[in-house]
Amino acid sequence: MKKEILIILGWIVVVGCSSNNINAVYEPIYLEVEQPANFPEISYNLDNNPVTEAGFELGKSLFYEGKLSANDAIPCAFCHEQAFAFTHHGHTVSHGVNGGIGTRNAQPIQNLAYQTEFMWDGAASHLDLQPVIPITSELEMGETISNVIAKLQTDSYYQSQFTKAFEDGEINSENLLKALSQFMVMMVSSNSTYDKYIRNEDNVTLTDIELDGLATFNNKCATCHATDLFTDHSYRNNGLSINPSLNDEGRYAVFENPDDLYKFKVPSLRNVAVSGPYMHDGRFSTLEAVLTFYDSGMTDNGNVDAVFSREDGTLGITLFDYEKESIVAFLNTLTDEEFLTDERFSEY
Amino acid sequence: MKILKLSFALLLCAIISSCSNDDSGEDLTGQTGELIIKFDNGVGDQDFIFGTTYTKSNNESYQLETLKYLISNITLTDSEGNVYTYPYNDNIFIISEANANNAGEIYVTLNDVDAADYTEISFGIGIDQDRFALGADGQGDFLTTAEEEGMLWSWATGYRFTRLDGTYSSDIATDEALNIHMGSVGTAIDNYREVTLTLPNTVLVREDSSPQIHIVADIALLFDGNTSVSFDEGYSQVHVDETTTGVIANNAMEMFSVHHIHND
Repeated sequence: MKKEILIILGWIVVVGCSSNNINAVYEPIYLEVEQPANFPEISYNLDNNPVTEAGFELGKSLFYEGKLSANDAIPCAFCHEQAFAFTHHGHTVSHGVNGGIGTRNAQPIQNLAYQTEFMWDGAASHLDLQPVIPITSELEMGETISNVIAKLQTDSYYQSQFTKAFEDGEINSENLLKALSQFMVMMVSSNSTYDKYIRNEDNVTLTDIELDGLATFNNKCATCHATDLFTDHSYRNNGLSINPSLNDEGRYAVFENPDDLYKFKVPSLRNVAVSGPYMHDGRFSTLEAVLTFYDSGMTDNGNVDAVFSREDGTLGITLFDYEKESIVAFLNTLTDEEFLTDERFSEY
Repeated sequence: MKILKLSFALLLCAIISSCSNDDSGEDLTGQTGELIIKFDNGVGDQDFIFGTTYTKSNNESYQLETLKYLISNITLTDSEGNVYTYPYNDNIFIISEANANNAGEIYVTLNDVDAADYTEISFGIGIDQDRFALGADGQGDFLTTAEEEGMLWSWATGYRFTRLDGTYSSDIATDEALNIHMGSVGTAIDNYREVTLTLPNTVLVREDSSPQIHIVADIALLFDGNTSVSFDEGYSQVHVDETTTGVIANNAMEMFSVHHIHND
């Protein structure tokens, strides 16, 4: 009798298990990537990687998954925290596995679908392939793609989630990277006070000082911080003094082209108020310090962008105190609370 | 002796013509077969061997401990001008000397090739921009393969099209590091190149045979091809520079020749 009960119990367990696997099927429910009215057109080719609910969920799990790193403890989210527009709050540069210290400030993850090159030096020219850099960097996650795949293949959650997310259900590098992209392209920040003002939504208005800041910004900053993405996607040398301990040559590292010395990507300014510290090495902790630098702190490191040349031959963008104050007020309107607290992107 | 050679040649002609006579009436529709491409690395008139010192122009010499390159987009053209393209997702290969057999040959086996009489083979060296632009979709599992073979960059997203690691010596250098890691850099530097080689005999791909194309790659031409380069003058470390990588890419196009084919 006992034996029979055991057999029945065993059967229930087996059926229970297999019914879990039966549940994991590929039934794509497609999600639309937002195209805000005031944004340039999307650059990411969704035809090759349409976003599905299951793919997005998988990408999110992977984004928060420590197994992507060598010591199983450093997920992408370690340096990309949502409350700070997915930057590493309070860190000039970031630390990774085995105490490694990186050389650059973690960039926000937002509106990447509208960009074609990634990283401070543009070393990644496709969003899908960008994660290879941090995953394999010894200073960041210190892992190999092959090993990440091997670890995920033994995990029952990923076995079923990859099945749900992709037609072939394979846990491989292609699907890993596609899922991460599906998560990232959905991360659109377009509902700041400024956005609602510019789109005439909800009767949102800007204050006088914010409007003054916007006018000064358009006059003195928008050449590089262009469009409502607030970047022209170019690489420029903005006359920062060279930090000898990092000696970061910027985009020069990509092509070894002397013209690229000390050039870095013009960053977007969305959520800039919460994504400090600033510059590629995080040397400025406040926006005021950034504006003071542009007014009076630039140095001639040999290759400074011509856009910063004043008529008298000095370098910089002249900014009076009220201009700085009002620009900061304007930049604060670029904070998108909906994005920073959007539960779709939250770990819990 | 001459008579013997002549009669042998005549016999060969007879065999070839009889074969082709047979073909004309053959229906190959729907038939597929295997085709083996053998890559055989050499340096001038010598076989390539790891650790062996080879001399080049400018009184320079070198030896290698790594020799790999990427081949992709293999297509075959038949005697009527029809082009067969190997399936896209599987059409990338790493040719690594470390995987060579005792004869120094690296086998690339193409399965389910359309049966036909092929007269020409084309392939690319490296990864083309279209495939790269497909993102994860275009790379498939090749990304992991490339990573395991050390053909993936980790500082940027891209592949090494060639990977030669070793040392070189010259009038002014002794056993200095030699690393030729040529590739495309994003979309800004495109070092993908294609070569087309005419086959010395027609390759007959059939269901019941696996013909072989024996391709020789003359590594010497990588350094002394259309452009002769000097290790002392910037070519001992080739990584991302637009000029040096481009010269190596163009020289790589000249490396390959079809030595012979086997139909069986």
